[in-house]
Amino acid sequence: MADHIEEKIKNYRTAPFDARFPNTNQTRNCYQNYLDFHRCNKALSDKGQETSPCDWYQRVYKSLCPMSWVERWDGQIEDGNFAGRV
Amino acid sequence: MLGTVSKQLRSHPALIPLFVFIGGGCVMCAAYLARLGICSPEVSWNRNGNPEPWNKLAPTYQYKFYAVNLDYSKLKKEGPDY
Repeated sequence: MADHIEEKIKNYRTAPFDARFPNTNQTRNCYQNYLDFHRCNKALSDKGQETSPCDWYQRVYKSLCPMSWVERWDGQIEDGNFAGRV
Repeated sequence: MLGTVSKQLRSHPALIPLFVFIGGGCVMCAAYLARLGICSPEVSWNRNGNPEPWNKLAPTYQYKFYAVNLDYSKLKKEGPDY
């Protein structure tokens, strides 16, 4: 699974189609990938595994989300103010 | 009120198609709103019991009525499992 993901990350062009978010408004897609990145990091580091597969979610949210949102959320996570469950 | 309407309809039967088409339009509007409320992946009626309804969908879930170019049966989950 890990090298399969490494190859996908190496050949990454842009965020792929996600059937969970069929509408034009992709805000939820951006937010869900941001949450998945942090949850994946937490889950894999708790299990003692490498967190490099989680970079897939980071690539996707960096493609989708406006930079100002990402910076604001990163700041909130550092301060401990982030509203989502990560 | 229904009695008045049916009496008037009996004396002016040409009004019946009007009721049929207006009624059909109302049914279609209600059906679309119901579809949005029930089937839309972003709608959650119970925030505590169903917090992220879009995560319960399979990667092959099709929301559109008719997909022209995309073969939904070939879609897979993209990100790694954790």
